[in-house]
Amino acid sequence: MTRSKFISGLKPVLFTLPAMIPFVVFWLAPLLYVFYLSFTEWDFMSPEKTFVGLNNYNELFHNPAFYKALKVTVLFCAGSVLPVILIGLGLALLMSSKLKGSTFYQALLFSPWVTPTVAISIVWSWIYEPDMGLANTVLNFLGLEKIGWLHDPKWALVGVLIVTIWKSVGWAMIFYLVALRNVPADLLEAADLDGANPVQKFIRITMPLISPTTLFLFVVQMIQALQAYDQINVLTQGGPSGSTRTLLYMYYQSAFESFQIGEASTVAMVLVFMCMLLSLFSLGVSNRSTHY
Amino acid sequence: MSKITRLGSVLRHLFFAVFALMMAFPFYWMVTSALKTNDEIWRSPPTLWPETPLWGNFVEAWNQAPFFRYMGNSIFVAISIVIFQVINSGMMAYALTHMKFRLKGLFAGVILFGYMVPATAVYLPGYLILSELHLLNSYAGLILSNCVSVFSIFLIRQAFLQVPHELVEAGEVDGSSHMRILWTIIVPITRSSFAVLALITFIDQYNNYFWPMLITKDPNLQLVSAGLRSFFVEGGAYGLKWPLIMAASAFTIAPLLLVFVLTQKTIMQSVNMTAGSTKG
Repeated sequence: MTRSKFISGLKPVLFTLPAMIPFVVFWLAPLLYVFYLSFTEWDFMSPEKTFVGLNNYNELFHNPAFYKALKVTVLFCAGSVLPVILIGLGLALLMSSKLKGSTFYQALLFSPWVTPTVAISIVWSWIYEPDMGLANTVLNFLGLEKIGWLHDPKWALVGVLIVTIWKSVGWAMIFYLVALRNVPADLLEAADLDGANPVQKFIRITMPLISPTTLFLFVVQMIQALQAYDQINVLTQGGPSGSTRTLLYMYYQSAFESFQIGEASTVAMVLVFMCMLLSLFSLGVSNRSTHY
Repeated sequence: MSKITRLGSVLRHLFFAVFALMMAFPFYWMVTSALKTNDEIWRSPPTLWPETPLWGNFVEAWNQAPFFRYMGNSIFVAISIVIFQVINSGMMAYALTHMKFRLKGLFAGVILFGYMVPATAVYLPGYLILSELHLLNSYAGLILSNCVSVFSIFLIRQAFLQVPHELVEAGEVDGSSHMRILWTIIVPITRSSFAVLALITFIDQYNNYFWPMLITKDPNLQLVSAGLRSFFVEGGAYGLKWPLIMAASAFTIAPLLLVFVLTQKTIMQSVNMTAGSTKG
């Protein structure tokens, strides 16, 4: 190989380096590192990391706290993802046919999505204030009993979920609006001629055609829900009595509060595994559905 | 028929007016709470608009913590990251779409793999690596650790796939370097994707909390979310000064709402592209 040929063969690789170097240093290496750490015991301070094999996994899978966090995670995912998708779709359907001023509504409903989660969570913690907060004032006005929104283990997760849903419904709505606009009008007209009612049209035509959007929103929202931290940190810090302690929050606390690096890394691997399953699931489904 | 549709659209207007009002109400509540006295805020029933709006609360909150510094940090770090990502996503996407090399499949696979890894799960090892590199508590650490985004690469790759390869070949015939072809031919055509990248990345990074909070303990380096949160916990003593806390939240959120109002079209457009960038 001549020198110039070698250099021109190298050029594409040079183009990838500005992205690949930080990618390897800050994504790939940490991933391998946390995989390794999940087989060790370490407390951040001592110079030695003790290799303990599968011991951390064994302990984690026998730890009731893990199963409680897993349950909270499942509730948090289901309780945020399903409402966001359903409400987002409902709003988009209501808005899809011509409505004057709909861009104004869109902007209003979308706006929570751009705001910092920390700041809006602080606003919500004022709304949830037990005595004089807006939420309990409204309940009181309606003749209902006050709720310990963030202090009652029965309600704290609901309180966090409301903020999470509030932040994302407008975003999901916009995705569905775009998808609905791409449903060919002549298909729906043809169904009209065949005497199909609106429900039939929705189930037979619209729903299948917007299913890629549903899949996309489902996966993105799930991955976000698995990683939700900001609102939990501001509103409840995983409490009261662990009722809002998700796997991610457990990971954070064992890593940066109790310094059980082995346990933390093992929880991290569980999270990585869950996200990969989700991504592979979405790849599998979308590969199958693109062959019409 | 037309009467029914008209009635329907009136009902829909009514619904959206009420719903939008409810959705926006937390923002309204934040601003009015910020303008009340500590007495008035605890009054029952609550007042919808303060008796005498205390605009001075904003000044007081602004002066009680280094918010100017926090916001400056957030803006500086976010803009730096945007610049890095524009450059490295552009180059990476160009290599993946318009250049031939042996490791292409491997690199593309590795990046796709990165798409599946939850960022938060690698915060612990990321922290340890950053500490080995002596980048904790530094702007360099804040910027470099966020300077590559798989999402941005996918977004730009998707845009570059639409650009006909003949344009690149024509550039090569003219004797232009790949760098020149990329920045003077391809990027101008796909500028709307870069605008989306810049806006989304800026918003994400300005709002970023978890990771920056972990790697910067120095208050001088805190981003605005972390700064606001410590004001909430320490300065605000958890709710003893709600008006000031609401004022601080308001001026943290304000720049983003302003950016949103100014760039609404591009941000909404991002929906089309985000949905597209994960396909194929």
